[in-house]
Amino acid sequence: APPGGGEERELALALQEALEPAVRLGRYPRAQLEVSALLLEDGGSALAAALTAAALALADAGVEMYDLVVGCGLSLAPGPAPTWLLDPTRLEEERAAAGLTVALMPVLNQVAGLLGSGEGGLIESWAEAVRLGLEGCQRLYPVLQQSLVRAARRRGAAAQP
Amino acid sequence: DSSVYLRYIFNTCFRTVEPLEYYRRFLKENCRPDGRELGEFRTTTVNIGSISTADGSALVKLGNTTVICGVKAEFAAPPTDAPDKGYVVPNVDLPPLCSSRFRSGPPGEEAQVASQFIADVIENSQIIQKEDLCISPGKLAWVLYCDLICLDYDGNILDACTFALLAALKNVQLPEVTINEETALAEVNLKKKSYLNIRTHPVATSFAVFDDTLLIVDPTGEEEHLATGTLTIVMDEEGKLCCLHKPGGSGLTGAKLQDCMSRAVTRHKEVKKLMDEVIKSMKPK
Repeated sequence: APPGGGEERELALALQEALEPAVRLGRYPRAQLEVSALLLEDGGSALAAALTAAALALADAGVEMYDLVVGCGLSLAPGPAPTWLLDPTRLEEERAAAGLTVALMPVLNQVAGLLGSGEGGLIESWAEAVRLGLEGCQRLYPVLQQSLVRAARRRGAAAQP
Repeated sequence: DSSVYLRYIFNTCFRTVEPLEYYRRFLKENCRPDGRELGEFRTTTVNIGSISTADGSALVKLGNTTVICGVKAEFAAPPTDAPDKGYVVPNVDLPPLCSSRFRSGPPGEEAQVASQFIADVIENSQIIQKEDLCISPGKLAWVLYCDLICLDYDGNILDACTFALLAALKNVQLPEVTINEETALAEVNLKKKSYLNIRTHPVATSFAVFDDTLLIVDPTGEEEHLATGTLTIVMDEEGKLCCLHKPGGSGLTGAKLQDCMSRAVTRHKEVKKLMDEVIKSMKPK
């Protein structure tokens, strides 16, 4: 796929905006951290997955961070009683009236990024969706912690001569 | 144990400061730092059909080198000079995430060379008869976009790409297409899919030349960097040569070339066996 397509540029910007608050950029003056996310298969919530993966990759690389960034996707299922679906599949995303991706820094409990589009109706509905998304992010956090610890242990064991 | 630790430190420093000398010490004993013999390949694994959004896919690992191939089939008008043929369009992508030697932006030289190499393999081996991709002569044909993406670069990208392409094409299922005579529109029957007719199975074997004389098979990234030349041989199952890729570097005698060809023939058997096992294990019982 050709690089720099319109949608890719928007997502790249969203990635940058969500990751910047989590990284101790002041510790790397005159350095550039290039984060590259490659989507192999879009099964839904791709941006959320990319955000989470990017934050984990930075942590795994040993970059100093204030906190991880966890992403969560939501879709508004259309119909007489519109409901927000957490972590939608691709099919659910295609049929949705609106979509939202939330990025949270779990320990600091601060929202790092928010990207949404579509017709959601009431403002309360969007606020509810954000709340749902942030809850989803918090639920994901222990899994990410464990995977980082496992990776660090593996690296420590491999470094032994 | 302090002496073991000191030796470890010394070896690591020596490897960084004098990598060629470090390698020569191993090559003199007919082996390599990772414990392999000169004619031994790294552990090869293949995973077929992992990307459900693609019409065919395969992931190949040669040691650390990881390449994923995704095939997408689309409609196109056949070329005017060959109205009964379809297209196979390969593209090799070496993104920054696979190695620090690649920058983001348009494809670099290595990616372009690899893309052309794969195109040559497809053409020379006749892996697919382009006529099989024709739906309606002069009006409609299939075009197979084969995207090869390197996820981890540790040398021998060409062997990994060739294997990934072959495995992905074997995984491709195309739906039946009929042209409605009244409306002249194509009707796709997604319920009736069939595999491609893969006519030959080209397998690539790559070598690195050390100090103009010594040949080692399946070079890692470090070995490629220290090599004075590289050679890639693509064979099919009848021991026929499909492609020989020797981009400059040290010259080789005819005898050495023959040795490489024999090794390529054995490698073909190894790869074919692995692929057949994987495909057999995937068939619904």
